[in-house]
Amino acid sequence: MSRARSVWLVARREILERGRSRGYLLSLVLTIVLLGAGFGLPVLLGGDEKTLEIGFIGDTPAALEPAIRSVATAFDEDASVEVTRYPDRASAEAALEAETIEAAVAVPADLSSPGEIVVREALDNTPRAILTQAIVGLRAGAALAPPEVVALDPRSDEDATAFVFANAGIILMFIGIFSYGYWVLGGVVEEKQSRVVEVVLATVRPRDLLMGKVFGIGILGLGQLVFLVAAGLLVSQLSGRLALPPTTAVSVVTLVVWFVLGYVLYSTALGFLGALASRMEEASNVTTPVTMVAMLSYFAAILLVTDDPDGLLARVLTFIPPSAPMVVPLRAALDAIEAWEILLAVAVMLAAIYGLFVVGGRVYSGAVLQVGARMKLRDAWRGSR
Amino acid sequence: MLEIVDLVKRYGDVVALDGATFTARRGRLVGFLGPNGAGKTTTMRAIFDLILPDRGEVRWDGRAIDLAARLRFGYMPEQRGLYPRMRVHEQLVYFAQHHGLDGRAAAGAATRWLDRLGLADRAASKLEDLSHGNQQRVQLATALVHDPELLVLDEPFSGLDPIGIATMTEVLRERAAAGVGVIFSSHQLDLVEDVCEDVVIISRGRVVAEGSIEELRARAGRRHLEVEVRGGNGSWLPDGGELTILERSGSRVKLLVDERVDLEALLARARATGEVTRFSYEPPRLSELFMEAVTQPQAGTAEQAAAAGAAR
Repeated sequence: MSRARSVWLVARREILERGRSRGYLLSLVLTIVLLGAGFGLPVLLGGDEKTLEIGFIGDTPAALEPAIRSVATAFDEDASVEVTRYPDRASAEAALEAETIEAAVAVPADLSSPGEIVVREALDNTPRAILTQAIVGLRAGAALAPPEVVALDPRSDEDATAFVFANAGIILMFIGIFSYGYWVLGGVVEEKQSRVVEVVLATVRPRDLLMGKVFGIGILGLGQLVFLVAAGLLVSQLSGRLALPPTTAVSVVTLVVWFVLGYVLYSTALGFLGALASRMEEASNVTTPVTMVAMLSYFAAILLVTDDPDGLLARVLTFIPPSAPMVVPLRAALDAIEAWEILLAVAVMLAAIYGLFVVGGRVYSGAVLQVGARMKLRDAWRGSR
Repeated sequence: MLEIVDLVKRYGDVVALDGATFTARRGRLVGFLGPNGAGKTTTMRAIFDLILPDRGEVRWDGRAIDLAARLRFGYMPEQRGLYPRMRVHEQLVYFAQHHGLDGRAAAGAATRWLDRLGLADRAASKLEDLSHGNQQRVQLATALVHDPELLVLDEPFSGLDPIGIATMTEVLRERAAAGVGVIFSSHQLDLVEDVCEDVVIISRGRVVAEGSIEELRARAGRRHLEVEVRGGNGSWLPDGGELTILERSGSRVKLLVDERVDLEALLARARATGEVTRFSYEPPRLSELFMEAVTQPQAGTAEQAAAAGAAR
């Protein structure tokens, strides 16, 4: 039987057994519910009732409408503004009487005077307050206009959004790598504890068993992650509450690729170190070094690389396998990485993963049949088949 | 034929196997006996490449065992274990597929073995919901589901109730009759005596006795003799080292006699003193042969050491 088939059989068992488990399905349902609640409900409940209908009389400053919008959202973040233009005051008043608008406003285009606000009753407080604040703000802004700043290396708004996305992506990736990595760890310990591993290893090479487990759980994890991201993007688009930067597609692909590489690296390490333990409580001790390395990489990426994305440190961390999955997507989002660096980093990562499978497979085979006390890494290496 | 050739395995200072050598033929039920720690489990693990011996070789049908050959073996480890939360039928299918069966053949074989072992109604249950005895049956089914050429079972009878023992015996006999090699370890010597044709006795990592039970008995050179002579005074009993009195109560005496003793003559002498109402004659029990084999002062080792010394 081919090795690929053994690996696939192991992976498929993980997918079928875990994929059908209540925990996994529940987490998917929960994701839908939370996303729906977060994005969908306000849209459903809010509707058009919070729309502020304003009439503009004659010529008004171009900045007036955005100013009103921004003040309105400050009052109520779900508010929207609808503007109708009227050529003269009489037609605006008629619309007011007919209740098609809530207030009308006349402000000279050059902001030379405060202009006037027309409402049905003096008690119509909210529109009046919003309009007043918008006009005062505009006029004050015009008077106090600061000098224009010219940056030679501008970081546009788009870049900033991309950065926020990359940051969120890295946090998501970190959580993902460790959630699924701990599934691998738990699976290894469970197989050792229930002794089933001896039956399995009578037909499957240790390295293939470890690989199958990592791949199977990885496919489940990736499925969940892709589902979560897709659902999030879909809901946010439908509700129109989140503007996506144009580079979203590239960022998502970069994140997914590095999630896969990072997950395989970390979960393989967690898996074979987990084989040294006989019980789950011991497993978390054995794997402390891996967790530490991951935390250090994460903070190095967030704190140091962000500061100086194409500095020496960032370049070095790009080619160190444990930190690369967090550093590369971040640098890519900041557009501070060359194509060759990405390719080389992927190559280094793949080589490291292969090496880890070889070393890990050997330690795993030496450790997984030893029950009783927690094993030392060196003994497992020597005791391997 | 399974050949274990000069296996040596050390764990630090502990010698688990010290040149173990034996063969197990197809179609024979072979009992693999030995005290705890004698090296039974280590030998079985070596067959499945679960440990790497320091020296020696394991062969099947004359060839070193590779993964392809191992896929045609069935194994029941001493430490029983299956996936607790996996359904019984799916579990069997999974292991059958690892042994090379395609999905459909695996499903068919799993169903057949569950029927055969009386577990058809539990096919969809999770393993952990089964009783201990039924979990054992599933474990046996796991070893059998791919129709192996060689069955290696570590303590298959331990923890079984009499019905379980009967089922296990029946299945093993049937497999052996089909030409499968069957080797299993056990501490239940009376059971082994009933079930097995051949035995291998291992002690301190070396094989100390091997062959068919009949042969071993014949080779033992001793017989159990129980004689009852009514009215006799016991004077028919000769003195001497060729026979040992084990027990004496009234007119009844239990003896251990060397095979050189002329039983006809002994019977004639007894008849001369009284009426012989019992004269039963039995080869030694397997349990005695076992005790003898494993408590031997390391004769083999001493001889070999001497031979090695001479060779040097």
